[in-house]
Amino acid sequence: MKLKVYADRLSQPVRAVIIFCEVNGIEYEEIKVDLANREHLTPEFSEINPMQQLPAIVHGTFKLFESHAILIYLASSFPGVADHWYPADVYKRSKIHSVLDWHHSNLRRGPITIVQNSILAPVFRRPLNPEAVAEGEKILSAALSKIESFWLDDNRPFLLGENQPSIADLSLVCDIMQVKLVGETDWNRLLGPYKKVQQWIENTRNATNPHFDELHKVLKELKEKLQN
Amino acid sequence: MKLKVYADRMSQPCRAVIIFCKVNGIDYEEIKVHISKGQHLTPEFAEINPMKQLPAIADGRFKLFESHAILIYLACAFPGVADHWYPADVFKRSKIHSVLDWHHSNLRRGAAPYVFNTTIAPILGRPLNPQVAAEAEIILSSSLSKLESFWLKGNGRFLLGGNQPSIADLSLVCELMQLEVLDEKDRTRLLGPHKKVQQWIENTRNATSPHFDEVHRVIMLAKERQQHQRLKAAKNEGGSNMKRPLVSRM
Repeated sequence: MKLKVYADRLSQPVRAVIIFCEVNGIEYEEIKVDLANREHLTPEFSEINPMQQLPAIVHGTFKLFESHAILIYLASSFPGVADHWYPADVYKRSKIHSVLDWHHSNLRRGPITIVQNSILAPVFRRPLNPEAVAEGEKILSAALSKIESFWLDDNRPFLLGENQPSIADLSLVCDIMQVKLVGETDWNRLLGPYKKVQQWIENTRNATNPHFDELHKVLKELKEKLQN
Repeated sequence: MKLKVYADRMSQPCRAVIIFCKVNGIDYEEIKVHISKGQHLTPEFAEINPMKQLPAIADGRFKLFESHAILIYLACAFPGVADHWYPADVFKRSKIHSVLDWHHSNLRRGAAPYVFNTTIAPILGRPLNPQVAAEAEIILSSSLSKLESFWLKGNGRFLLGGNQPSIADLSLVCELMQLEVLDEKDRTRLLGPHKKVQQWIENTRNATSPHFDEVHRVIMLAKERQQHQRLKAAKNEGGSNMKRPLVSRM
């Protein structure tokens, strides 16, 4: 009854789930669903997830979608997952729920709006839309500002004043990493004002390497492919 | 160390939290923060929630915001909350997380801006935005279809085939109740095709009676005021026709 993870590593929440599995030694089978080739829209995949989105998992007869729900399920169901990923303590756990919920309506739409209306537009057969990109940058900056001033404590390496990463760190950092697709100049411009955020991304990367770098290779490869 | 709930009952997620407390006999103090008066933007409230949004809670020194996180906290931290609200079973619980997450980017993302930009904005001194409303309506319609065909699949009275309500039912139904303030023809157009959704709203209301109606009174009052204003506007239009002078045929 091996866990199946339906994935396209281009998707930020997919990367968060796979990195989590790798870091925690969770045995899984990665089933590639190519977004650019619209494989998520096939009737076969709709059987797995009627919302036609990634990631989705199948564990025996149990199917689940929405990456936060998946990360929580994995943390709760697999032995050997260290407590810091999804603490049993109700107060710490509630704060993780709070930032994951905040993420949906605040950070998440920033990077996705930027990349889908610029570099990824041709991949998904959409027109370039500089206005939408500008809107996405505003959303991203507002979110990064809140992470810098509120979610990240002055002296602690991870969100919510913690010394070790949680599923929230993984989820949010993978989302921000999507902005790497638009190139180093824009990355530096957008992330530049936020020193704590930059350090936190590095902390999360170090805490989950070599898997973090391995999973994010796809962004570098895609960028090079699109530029040529 | 009574639980404090910072709320404006015009806010859908605030209503979900308050109804949950009442139904489960959780002792709390409701601290009204009026959005229409900008009270959520004060420095005092920013101490409670720097995101300046409602609901927020303070339980002793513990502060929390985001209604789903709050509902889960209350279900876990207070004794006597029946299991069906937030089941201990990891599979059932995961499905509840899944629909609550889906809600953020789908139902809420459609319903809230649609209602705001067709009806509520002027109450808060803001302009209506028909373009945002049109985009939101597409998301809302699609979400209602998904509720009807997927989340309410099977014979259960509640989401995910359940026969008793969970925090997900409360959260999503309170969101849909905001549609009460719409022009009746819009509300009928949007909800009319979805019989299971309509039944499910009624099931959730019955399961949390009488608190559901009590907490929704403010929305129903807003609905009456809106209907009154629409009638007045329609009458004025008809009235000015009457004022045209009758032309003599002599």
